[in-house]
Amino acid sequence: MSEEIKADKVMDLRGMPCPMPVVKISKGIKEVEIGQVVEAHSTDPGSLTDFPAWARTSGNEILKTEQDGDVIKFFIKRTA
Amino acid sequence: MDQNTREELLRLFNSKLNQAMKFYLETCSRCGMCTHACHVHESMPQVKYIAAYRAEIVRRLYKRYFKKQGRIWPWMGESKELGDVALEELYEAAYSCTGCRRCMVYCPHGIDTQMLMSIAKLLLVGANSEPEILTLLADTSIEKGRSIDLLKTSFMQGVKRLEEEVVKKWKTEAGETTIPVDVEGASLLYVALAGAHSIIPAAAVFNAAKENWTLSFFEAVNFGAFVGDPTKTKLILDRIVNEARRLKVKEVCICECGTAYRVMKQLSGKQPFAVSSVTEVHARYIKEGRIQLDRFAFKDPVTYHDPCQIARNAGVIYEARYILNSLADDYREMSPDPKYNWCCGGGGGLVALGDETLDFRMKSAKVKAEQVNDTGAKILSTACENCHTQLSNLNDHYKMDVRVRFLSSMVADALVQPDALS
Ligand code: SF4
Ligand code: SF4
Repeated sequence: MSEEIKADKVMDLRGMPCPMPVVKISKGIKEVEIGQVVEAHSTDPGSLTDFPAWARTSGNEILKTEQDGDVIKFFIKRTA
Repeated sequence: MDQNTREELLRLFNSKLNQAMKFYLETCSRCGMCTHACHVHESMPQVKYIAAYRAEIVRRLYKRYFKKQGRIWPWMGESKELGDVALEELYEAAYSCTGCRRCMVYCPHGIDTQMLMSIAKLLLVGANSEPEILTLLADTSIEKGRSIDLLKTSFMQGVKRLEEEVVKKWKTEAGETTIPVDVEGASLLYVALAGAHSIIPAAAVFNAAKENWTLSFFEAVNFGAFVGDPTKTKLILDRIVNEARRLKVKEVCICECGTAYRVMKQLSGKQPFAVSSVTEVHARYIKEGRIQLDRFAFKDPVTYHDPCQIARNAGVIYEARYILNSLADDYREMSPDPKYNWCCGGGGGLVALGDETLDFRMKSAKVKAEQVNDTGAKILSTACENCHTQLSNLNDHYKMDVRVRFLSSMVADALVQPDALS
């Protein structure tokens, strides 16, 4: 079992049309302090490539990606 | 604005001045035929929303810096200095235009306001004054192209989880892969969007048609085109072109995304593969008898919104009607001639700007809501992600009481299953 990460904000991005998941996470991450963590939920397979690419581009860090049934959970630390 | 920035922006302006662009910049006779052509102006009658007025913002800069009179006597005529005020005007003009080109159909000279707005958008990019989120989205797509080898495995695992949903729509036979990915030698590369809704129905229809297909690692949409950056547009496009060439496919099929289709069709150059929209492919399957649809699958009246980038701007018009008449009992046209169809009001990057543009998008597309209501349809079908989002927003805002459906998902739901066939 991996280490528990405590999220400071949870975002439900399930089933959103393109490009809302990336648009929403870009805004959502700015609503937490640097060093804090956003937990984002998605059901879209494309988010598995979109989110890591977005994190590199925006300078944020994906701490962990986990699968919970149909839901993909990203734990993203604001570093920029 | 300092001199260096101005010079750089003028260099960018100059890079757009091909023969067609010069014609658009030098030809407007101010006849006013485009005044009522623009949905923004028709919904919010203000001078700044007239197509020719938008064009004039770019034209004045052209006169000032690229025409002899403006260079020698800049105070004469209607030339304009390129500075911060001009940038604000360019922003207002470009980001209140959806690039639908309805005005061009009415203009006796065929002046393409969308092309003129591409100059405005490029100047905004050059001055770092474009909407930041569009550049971030474009950069994310480019980064994905660079790091795809690291991301392939998790993408394939994510796709695997959709198979159950696909099989509910069309059962695959033993030995068949429900969602093939990265298959060299496949006939058709399907380029979807990130969302499961863009993959599941399309996969079911490909499998029903026994297509030898493979799913792209990349999303079809091109944010470089939305933000008007030709370099980024090409980098994003090249990811798919290179993947198609590597897999040696014969056809690249673009999902329901208008901009993605137009960019791939019109900007990918000569390639060893054909480019088609998923709407064209579905129409072909029906025509060739590769899929059977329930002719009365949808009993409620259905109308269809032609995405501007697929219909007016890329010529895919007949196919959607052919499909809808194969699965709907009561299909109703929205406009006597689809080339005059109103834009949904969400193109040109406006939907991607999200809540920020919602108020403008709702007000500026009032005529679209009225056009839909006039049909009396209960199902509003379309074949573009942007249009679908915008039409869903309009449906809520104007209480239109329609169900907004992707055409491809209607095809998947209308598939006649093999047991029913036998
Ligand atoms: S392209 Fe469309 S939105 Fe832009 S000015 Fe012309 S009609 Fe209006
Ligand atoms: S219809 Fe064409 S020529 Fe007439 S005002 Fe509009 S852009 Fe100018």
